[in-house]
Amino acid sequence: MKTQITELFGLSVYTDKAVFVGNVDDIVLDVDGKKIDALAVGNLNPEIGELKGYKGMQIPFRIIKSVGDIVLIRHIAGVFKGSKKE
Amino acid sequence: MNKTFCRNLAKKKVMSNDGMLIGTIKNIIVDLGTGQVVDLIVKPDDTFNTDGFRMDGDKMFVPFEAVKDIKDYIVVDRYLLRKSA
Repeated sequence: MKTQITELFGLSVYTDKAVFVGNVDDIVLDVDGKKIDALAVGNLNPEIGELKGYKGMQIPFRIIKSVGDIVLIRHIAGVFKGSKKE
Repeated sequence: MNKTFCRNLAKKKVMSNDGMLIGTIKNIIVDLGTGQVVDLIVKPDDTFNTDGFRMDGDKMFVPFEAVKDIKDYIVVDRYLLRKSA
């Protein structure tokens, strides 16, 4: 599936436990490896865990499961706490 | 490893390694299944002869394979440039 990279900007990123992470702000390319390295995600959901004042995070491409109308990534316990209040 | 943000690339000039100005980058085609970067979409410069290149209207496709380096310019290999992906 071939896509223009500008179509990814602004997509919502969710984990496979249906937790909202943020919106795609930018894409990091690995020029030597000729592949996508990571998605830079901004507008972070403040409830996913310790953000320590960071405005964004990079989601490595290997944890991305699927890209369509949204971006679906693997849920990593310990990084994404889930949106339920504990 | 040489990494770059996409938004950094906007409006960068594409130049071949023999010093010819090819054009300005418009977009990038990626394969989301594998994560591979497939093509650059380039708006060719008026002085550049696009005969023999893959074209779509006034846009030109440059295989990402041909990209040597990205700093202030995007430098592409002039031999790999014509190869169709």
